[in-house]
This record gives sequence, C-alpha cells and structure tokens, in this order.
Amino acid sequence: MEILDALMAGFATAITPGNLLWALVGCALGTAVGVLPGIGPAVAVAMLLPITAKVEVTASMIFFAGIYYGAMYGGSTTSILLNTPGETASMVTAMEGNKMAKSGRAGAALATAAIGSFLAGTFATVVVTLFAPTVAEFAVKLGPPEYFMLMVLAFTTVSAVLGQSRVRGMTALFIGLAAGCIGMDQISGAARYTGGKMELLDGIDIVLVAVGLFAVAEVLYAALYEGRTKDTQNHMGRVHMTRLDWRRSLPAWLRGTLIGTPFGCIPAGGTEIPTFLSYATEKKLAKGKNRDEFGRQGAIEGVAGPEAANNATVTAALIPLLTLGIPTSNTTAVLLGAFQNYGINPGPQLFQTSATLVWALIASLYIGNLMLLVLNLPMVGLWVKLLKIPKPQLYAGILIFATVGAYGMRQSAFDLFLLYGIGLLGVLMRRFDFPTAPVVVGMILGPLAEAQMRNAVSIGEGSWLIFLQRPMSLALLVIVLAVLIVPRLLQRRTRA
Amino acid sequence: MTHAGPGPYRRLAAGFFMALRLLPRRAFGAGMPMTDPSPLDSSDISPPGASAVPGVALQTAVGAGVLLVAAGLAFGALSIPGDAGYGGVGPNFLPWVCAAVLALCGGWLVWEARNGGYRAMAEPTGGVRADWSAAVWVSAGLLLNAALITTLGFILSCTLCYVLAVQGLRRAAGQAQAREPRTWAMDVFTGLCISAPVFWVFTQFLAINLPGLTGTGWL
Repeated sequence: MEILDALMAGFATAITPGNLLWALVGCALGTAVGVLPGIGPAVAVAMLLPITAKVEVTASMIFFAGIYYGAMYGGSTTSILLNTPGETASMVTAMEGNKMAKSGRAGAALATAAIGSFLAGTFATVVVTLFAPTVAEFAVKLGPPEYFMLMVLAFTTVSAVLGQSRVRGMTALFIGLAAGCIGMDQISGAARYTGGKMELLDGIDIVLVAVGLFAVAEVLYAALYEGRTKDTQNHMGRVHMTRLDWRRSLPAWLRGTLIGTPFGCIPAGGTEIPTFLSYATEKKLAKGKNRDEFGRQGAIEGVAGPEAANNATVTAALIPLLTLGIPTSNTTAVLLGAFQNYGINPGPQLFQTSATLVWALIASLYIGNLMLLVLNLPMVGLWVKLLKIPKPQLYAGILIFATVGAYGMRQSAFDLFLLYGIGLLGVLMRRFDFPTAPVVVGMILGPLAEAQMRNAVSIGEGSWLIFLQRPMSLALLVIVLAVLIVPRLLQRRTRA
Repeated sequence: MTHAGPGPYRRLAAGFFMALRLLPRRAFGAGMPMTDPSPLDSSDISPPGASAVPGVALQTAVGAGVLLVAAGLAFGALSIPGDAGYGGVGPNFLPWVCAAVLALCGGWLVWEARNGGYRAMAEPTGGVRADWSAAVWVSAGLLLNAALITTLGFILSCTLCYVLAVQGLRRAAGQAQAREPRTWAMDVFTGLCISAPVFWVFTQFLAINLPGLTGTGWL
C-alpha cells in the first residue's frame, strides 16, 4: 500500500502538463535518435546534459528517461529496415528482423518489436516499482567494503566478460579509470594529472568522453573508412500482425521478458547476454516450419523474444542505478552523470531524500511506454523518413550538436580540442576492436569506487583484510572471481 | 545416481555459454552501427579477400602506445602526494594501480600482436584503406570550430565546421558534385539552418550560455 501511495504521488507529479511535455519530447527525441544511425541514446543524453544547469531536476530526469527508453524503440525500427542497428542492443533484432523485412514482412516485424517492447517495458517497470524500494532498504545496510566489491563486479563484467578479448576490455577499463583520476582528488583535494592546467582541475567531463568516443569518433570513422559503404533499405509495407503472428509472438514476448528482467536487476550490465539468450531459446523451442524460418525468411519469434528481453533488461537496469548508484551501460553511466550534476548521488538514500523525484521518474516510465507505443505503431512511417537523410549531411550535423554538448557544459573552447582528441582515440579503439563501454563506466564509476575503497580501508584501520572479514564483501569477491574463472574453465572442458 | 549424462543444470549452463559464444565479436562496441556483414551490402573498393584488420606493425604500435600511456601515468603519479591520512590508501594509490595494470596490458598486447595478432578480432566495418583526405576536411572543421568559436560566435563557427565536415564526407562518398559552388552554397545554407535554431533554443529557451558574435543572443 505504501508503494501504491508513493506511486500515485509520483503520477501526480509526472502528469503535470510541463512534465508530460518533457516526457513526450524525450520519447520523440529518443525515437529519432534510435532511428538515426551514428548517434545513440548515450550521446543524445550526453549532448543534452548542459540543460541540467537550468532545467529543474524532475523534469530533466523524466526527459532523459524518455530518451533512454525511446532509443530502444527507435533502434529496432532501424535494425529491421536498414540492418545497421543504431545501438548494440538491437543487433539480434537485426538478424531475424532484417530477414523478415527482406521477405516482405517488415510490417509484422515492426509491430511485434513495438508491442513486445511495450509489454516487457511495462512489466519491468512494475518490477522496478515493487522491488526497488526493497532493494534500497537492503542496500542501506551495505558498507563501503560491500559497495566497493559491487562496483568491482560491475567493472569485471563490463570489461572482462562481455567483450571478446579480456586484455582489450581491461585496457579500456583502466584507461577510463585513469581518466577518472584527472582533476582534484575528492578526499584529499590533491591535484592529479592536471599538468598545471586550470581547465583540468575539475576533471574531464563525462559529456566530453561520451560525445567524443561515440559521436565525433563515429563521424571521423565514417569519413576515414565508410565513404563507399552502401546501405540498402528494405520496403516497409503495412504495419500489421495476423492472428498467427500474435499467437507466435505472445509466448516469445513473455519468455523474453522473463529472461531480460533478472539480467537488468543485477549490477552486471549488458543487454547482449539476455537478448542472445532469448534468441537462442526461441530458436531451440521453435518447431517444424517455424524453425525453418530462422535465418532464412526470418522468424517472428526471433524478433519478438529478443526485443522484449532487451526492453526488460534496459528498464530493470534502473534498479541498480537508482538503488545502488551503479550504472552498467553507457547510457546509465551518463544518466548517473546527470544526477551528479544536480548534486544527487543515486543510492539507497535516494528513496528517502528524493522520494518525489524517484517516484515521478518511475511513474513517467509507465507513461513513456504508452507514449512510445503510440509514437512507434501508427506513426512509424514518420520515423522511417528520417532514414532518408543523406549520410554526409547527417554526420556533419551531428558535429554541431556535439559542439553544443561539449561547449555548453563548461563554456570552454579548450574542451572542444579535448573533444577532438577523444574522438581520435575513439576511432583507434573502433578500428582495433577495443570495447568503449568500459571506458565510460570506468570513468564515471571509478572515482566513486575509489572513495569506497579508501573508506573501506580506513574502516579496516589500514588493513585490506576488511574485504575478507565481512561476509557480504567476501561473498561478492567470490562471485567476482567466479565470473572471471568459470567461463574459462567451462571453455577448457568443452574443448577437452 | 551415476553420471549417466549431463544433468539438467549442466545442460542449462552449457546452453548459457553457447549463447555467450553466439555473441558477435563487436557485441560491446556500444553505439556504433554495424554494416551488413554480407560482402554484397558492405561493398567497397577493397579487393576481395583483403582484411580490414590492422596489420601486425600497427597492432604492435597500439600496444606500445598503451605502454607509453602507462609510463606517463607512472611519471605523473610521482608528483601526487601519497599521505594516506587514517586509511592506508592515499590519493596516489589508484594512479599507480592504473599505471601498473596498463603496463601489463600494453605488454600483453605487444606480445599478442607479435604472436599471431590480437585475439578474437572482429573485422572492422568499412573499407580496408583509410581515406585520409576526407578525415583532414572533418578534422579541419572540428579544430577550426574549437579555435574560432569564441571569436566568430556559435552560429558562424558551427556552420564553418559543418561545411568543412560535409565536404570531407561527400568526397569520401565519391560524390562528383562535392566541388561545385552550388553544393557549397547549399551546405552553407543547411549549416546555418541547423546551427541557428540550435543556438536560439539553447540561449533563449534554456538560458544556456553559448558564445555569440554579438551580445544579443540572436547571432
């Protein structure tokens, strides 16, 4: 009942005309960003972070959540029609969805993706509503050692487990951690790696890194390597699902949701594992004629399941973000940066200190999901027109928005030079297949993890054994080691 | 109960790791669009069979670059005070850890590069050879923008950036009309049409400071 009251109060805040408008603009912008190649939700939120200086916190968080969400819907449209997923999460959708589109069933693929996203998103929002307060209550009991180990778990999964190469993932993570060191140390106030430059005393802003690594690098990379790459677009057709499509999609949506939600809840991150797991499940469970469609004409289950899993994961990922303050993807890392701009540190106290904000945010997720269903089903044709923008103009235009984000944050031309440098780094990382998410997560979570670690060692009176003496932190340490070692052992076993 | 066959849990775990292996190599490339892996769709000028994966020398250079970063971090860490206060950990601890781990990673990368190349490399998207002249146009746009934004103001500086970048991208795409004055004029107009409204929205509605040529907030 307590939760219901809080949620109702949240709706009361979210449903004011101003906030509704922010949600609508956020969802529309998010969809556009998701549809457009070359720009994803992390960059979009990062570019708009300067508004945190002026816009009130609830409104801007509702706005950012709309972008975060909308991009997931928009991304599936692109991957079905263009086979260039705007964000990694829709790569699985691209596999089957594109095949469906090629055999003239794009409309059904778009419909099952949108409806599946809606169902899964709503279900996961219910999970967030019900469980986030409980997790927060539990998280209050965690001390610095436990927090530190949780963050190490997030680092490990983001860098070592999700990528293909452990060493490249680790390199990326520690580059991010080192970048997070730049500036004034928050505990002692000592200047680190500033080289006497005043501009660096405040550290490097997350906006610069996100916009540089993704937007600027993307444009430079396109100029360097992708000039001759031709994209082919599939014909859309009517957005419509037959009775048989519904019967085949429904169980896939449910299974996808059930697979995706728990993956979002744990602070380990990544939509790749749940979406691929859902895809594998659907392929395994399909029988007869439906099974033959996988990889050939395109099976509708292969779109419905992963899309649902994707949205469920992305939504449930708000639980670790809001209750523990641990981001597990690029976009949630940037969202955490947005909170920090307001001087708010997400964590267990958030549900007490900023109850209005949190509940308005959660309520806006319900509203946003509904808005997105409307924006993406009847109006899908509108978004598809965005795909007609020629690449040179689109990519050059992105640079203007990149400038707004980078310059608007601190009004410093120095940052624009830095942005270019980070863009070059991004090109290098992409060409040499280094993952970029560890850099962003490491940079934003690094300073927090460092503070927790130093506090923990202080609690242990200078002894590192503190991490082994507390049962929770010991358990987490064991999990971290298991995550690192078990896959390798299993691999060796299957090989032998 | 003897070990007659894999139990349900074993099977489940095996399935899970099967799914892991299904992950494409670029799975965590984050935000970067992928082009169709089929050779038909991502056709470019590259000769058939040529790989876009950078060669051994370049891979070694990147590994060496990581080593250099590690050395730089270590050098910088020397001048960070290490007094730890109550705990046993001072502000120079994490920098030293970063330097040490990156040195390890750099060494490892160099070793991998010289012993068969980086492991599990995904084929990068796009062409085999880089189009450097296109990148110079885009870079010029970005750097001039950084240098001139405070003097020219946001609108003009960003338009300049747009025009130079779009010129580079058009040339990269092999557009014949890229050099025509008409195209240039169109691009200047488009650049203004994007940057001016952006400037107004940010300065007028959101009250965020962006530099103008004049102090009016409109140009």
